[in-house]
Amino acid sequence: MTERPWQVLAGLRPDSSKFPARANLEGEGIVILRTKTGFRGVQRSCPHLQGTMMNAELVANDTMVRCPLHVFTFKLSDGKGVNCPGFRLKVYEIKEENGMLFGRSAN
Amino acid sequence: MESAADSLVLRGAHVIDAEQGIDHVADVHVADRKVQFVGPRALAPNTKVVDVSGHYLSAGWVDIHVHAYGTLGFANPDTVGVYQGVTSFVDAGGPGIGVLDQFMVLLDHLETSLYAGAFIRPMGLLGLNFIEGDVRTLGEVPITRWVDFAKSNRDMLRYIKCNAMGDYGPGTLKLTKGLAEILSLPLYMHIGEFQLQNPKHLLAPEAFRIAEAGDMITHLYHGNLGQVIDESGKVLPIVRDAERRGVIFDLGFGGYNFSWDVAERAFAQGLVPHTISSDLQQFNVVRPVKSLANVMSAMIRLGMTLPQVIERVTRNPAKAVSLTDRAGSLKPGLPADITVFRVDTGDYEITDCYTKVRKAEKQIVPVLTFKNGKRFEADLAMGQEESNWFLQIAEDHVPSAAATLTDRQRGFLNALAASLSSVSWELSSAERLDIEKALELQDIFHQVRAKQGLSLKDALRSVYASFLDQNFTMQIGLLLLRLERPFALQRLRDVSGQRPMAA
Repeated sequence: MTERPWQVLAGLRPDSSKFPARANLEGEGIVILRTKTGFRGVQRSCPHLQGTMMNAELVANDTMVRCPLHVFTFKLSDGKGVNCPGFRLKVYEIKEENGMLFGRSAN
Repeated sequence: MESAADSLVLRGAHVIDAEQGIDHVADVHVADRKVQFVGPRALAPNTKVVDVSGHYLSAGWVDIHVHAYGTLGFANPDTVGVYQGVTSFVDAGGPGIGVLDQFMVLLDHLETSLYAGAFIRPMGLLGLNFIEGDVRTLGEVPITRWVDFAKSNRDMLRYIKCNAMGDYGPGTLKLTKGLAEILSLPLYMHIGEFQLQNPKHLLAPEAFRIAEAGDMITHLYHGNLGQVIDESGKVLPIVRDAERRGVIFDLGFGGYNFSWDVAERAFAQGLVPHTISSDLQQFNVVRPVKSLANVMSAMIRLGMTLPQVIERVTRNPAKAVSLTDRAGSLKPGLPADITVFRVDTGDYEITDCYTKVRKAEKQIVPVLTFKNGKRFEADLAMGQEESNWFLQIAEDHVPSAAATLTDRQRGFLNALAASLSSVSWELSSAERLDIEKALELQDIFHQVRAKQGLSLKDALRSVYASFLDQNFTMQIGLLLLRLERPFALQRLRDVSGQRPMAA
């Protein structure tokens, strides 16, 4: 399988933008989160009842993200539901390069 | 903590008891774990006096809609029971006939009196973390098994629940009504869509048509499809008809089921719930429900008086689920189930299940609970602790409880791993939950357990201890189904081979 290409996240700056931030990647609206270890992207709304992930909370030492509506919690590594088996959040790799952010799908 | 047999007087609180027509300051005398008397009376020697002046006092609160067990339940259900002023609660649909045995052995240790509002589906509620599927997931309804269970466990069963939602058609409701009639139990129906957004045929109106006197409909003020009001805000005639027939309306606040807009419109037309319940579960205890007390504060804000609210968490629910012989009042001779609470004045906000917020001046706060005379300090924060509601599989470590398992439990886990290694399973998505597979995994669990001669409780505990850090309870078939198969088999083998912890 060929690797998906990195795409630049237009208009976002790792040092000056405010996070979480909205972005578009691979034709979908996503949310970029700043974690203790860097950046991670997630789909814009919770797969449960479409709560906005702009208000999501980072938990478990920034390894999980939690929708505030019904505390559905997902792993940032693979998007799998932790307390909601069967539900899955789309997650995106985000890297910082030359003062810009690039992203690609992770799952 | 008082010794439960001691004589005790709760002095100086404003007592509210609809059953006895009490709404004034009075002393409450307790002896031998029972209410003796409300009013002035000479004290026996060695009577302990607890000054509760400046507080309110009522019979212990009865919450007929909580989720203590299963995929929605809590690690410690008492956190939404005696620690929140609630002395009796009913699990609304957690167990079905296929798991009532698990429910009973796992939750026999609570301080709060727990009853089952059993679900029509054998596996019980699949929870919000599994999509409630189509009629296929209903499974069989084994009437003989239900009748036998009810005969031996009459006291445990308080109602039969089904969901009046989804695109099943009204057959499910009628089937559940039939079962409830066979068992002489009330029918308890959820109304309001939240998973299928656009069913072809709404079942909420069917629920109002099918319900008879004593049957209950919960989520009266929900704001989803299938509301009690029409588009212009007027209460539907079928709702009025049901009310006239003696159908009981329950609040069931929940995480999806209370809308300020609906509540205010319906309340203004005199449509008022007969019982106030919380629908507390692991997905709504942080917000918006928080506690039964918060839901009661919402009803004050809506326009109910304090005695009206108290009646709806004491006498009315006790009547609705036939507990008046032991709960709902401070009548002499009843168990000393008592809630002491404050009504604070300040600037508060109460949020519904959507985004609507109302400013409130009054807030009800439980202070002390007595259960059969035993005292508990109320603590609303306990229920909200993450370890109490965040059900997480211990993937990267073996839970410490595994080290306390006996040789026989480890032998059982080894045999279970061997039997499970011959079947495959996968939880591919919430929409495609394979209920038959969950039942198959449960059958294997029971077969291995029977062969090993291990008690149900010890067998369940050994599996939970292999995968869970907290004392969550869950339908064993659903727990196994949600585990990734290679991981599950490896963990069972690891724990079965683990040496017991040195004493």
